[in-house]
Amino acid sequence: MAKLVLSAQGAVVQQCFVDRDRLTIGRDAHNAIVIDDPSVSREHAQITRVGNDHILEDLRSANGTYVNGEQMPRRILQHGDVMQFGAFHLRYLNPRAASEADFERTMLIEGIAGDSSARTAVKLAEAQSDGIGARAPRTRLPTGRVKVLAGPDAERVVELDRVIATFGRRGADLAVIVRRPQGYFLAHVEGAHLPLVNGSELQSQALALRSGDVIDVGDQRLEFVADGAT
Amino acid sequence: MPHDFLETAGLSDVGNVRQYNEDSIAIDADLGVAALADGMGGHRAGEVASRVAVDVLLRAMRSRWHRLRSADRQHRPLLVVDGSINQANRAIYQAAQAQPAYQGMGTTLALTFFYDNAVVLGHIGDSRIYRLRDASLNLLTRDDSLLREQIDLGLVSAEDARQSHNRSLVTRALGIAPEVAPHLRADTALPGDVFVLCSDGLSDLVDDADIELIVESLQSNLALAAQLLVQAAKDNGGYDNVSVILARIVKPFPAEVLTLWERLTALFRRSR
Repeated sequence: MAKLVLSAQGAVVQQCFVDRDRLTIGRDAHNAIVIDDPSVSREHAQITRVGNDHILEDLRSANGTYVNGEQMPRRILQHGDVMQFGAFHLRYLNPRAASEADFERTMLIEGIAGDSSARTAVKLAEAQSDGIGARAPRTRLPTGRVKVLAGPDAERVVELDRVIATFGRRGADLAVIVRRPQGYFLAHVEGAHLPLVNGSELQSQALALRSGDVIDVGDQRLEFVADGAT
Repeated sequence: MPHDFLETAGLSDVGNVRQYNEDSIAIDADLGVAALADGMGGHRAGEVASRVAVDVLLRAMRSRWHRLRSADRQHRPLLVVDGSINQANRAIYQAAQAQPAYQGMGTTLALTFFYDNAVVLGHIGDSRIYRLRDASLNLLTRDDSLLREQIDLGLVSAEDARQSHNRSLVTRALGIAPEVAPHLRADTALPGDVFVLCSDGLSDLVDDADIELIVESLQSNLALAAQLLVQAAKDNGGYDNVSVILARIVKPFPAEVLTLWERLTALFRRSR
């Protein structure tokens, strides 16, 4: 269960579990977290639970609500966040939230608007959609580039800063370099001729590239250069 | 039934963390159908729910498709899909009622039915359907997810959504009630289009921009594109099962025009 730890000058004043759907923070005695500080409003902020999230919201307090040093009217609390209220610090702890795996399991939940299960007519409404973006990945990726030694685009340097980069020509001979945490890999995409690496035909599905490798694909000759120790 | 208008590839992977794969995929290129389901429920019931969903769905589509073709009324592919999804829903619901271990099980669904130069999109839950057209990837579905509702209600901004822990909480699913109203609509399907169906195990871990880049660059080798999409999801954590289906329209696919003779014989058969 998520926990809140209130401290002042390094000493813990109060700890409580976030065990209800809404709790308030402020100077008044009725709050779940009472903070006796003149710069804190009587009802200063609230934490509400929505699904797996605890959302901190400022309740139009006189001096605002700060998280990790920044003023924020609203924040989906992350494990380790520190809220400031006057001279007090309130730390949010939720190790389960920090461990990604637990929250990835698809589960059914009642919608906010209270979804009814009654059948409605088939709708032909247009659905324009902005997708919710992916989570920020926490993997470290290598850096590198390809220099075109000969053929079309000779002298060009292609930075390998995206998940894949293709070389050659579509409909003819095409190869791909894949950027993965463990390094860069070469694979054949299409075409009658397999790419050559240092003169030899690519034998496996994907080949781990080493800095200095020379690749022939289509009518281009490329040199792969990796940063750092390979 | 000629199917050379459609090129497909599909892949379903348990991911890096889960013990079981509760996603299911099915493709029937002859019929022009691709279906993907992400199951949920205690102790592997999710596997059952998603497998029943795609199996019953394809069987139902096949039998309804014959009726679709022999009817002399206007073709109604949307109703074919709606009826088939409801049949799958009932099958899961009844299975859940019959066995205590399966109680409460359900599944998301993403379905594409290619018919007569168009596509019928059916979905429920947070599995998605995108379309790549003119090198640009567009999301065609709107997630039935708590996070989506939070954003729509203005509770959470789209940027904050990246920090939410509510990603996998779906608000609607197949199998949890005797009847269901899936999202259904028809859209265009032109030669060169690539449709991407995926479970949230992909879209939660791989940015749309990267999905677009992989599908666009490797559309001449869909199997490789599918492989690299799944691999990217796993390299970014692989916290959930990850599944993807790619379907590329190779050429136009008009519905065969029924000859006058077929129409007459259909009428004759019905009037007996």
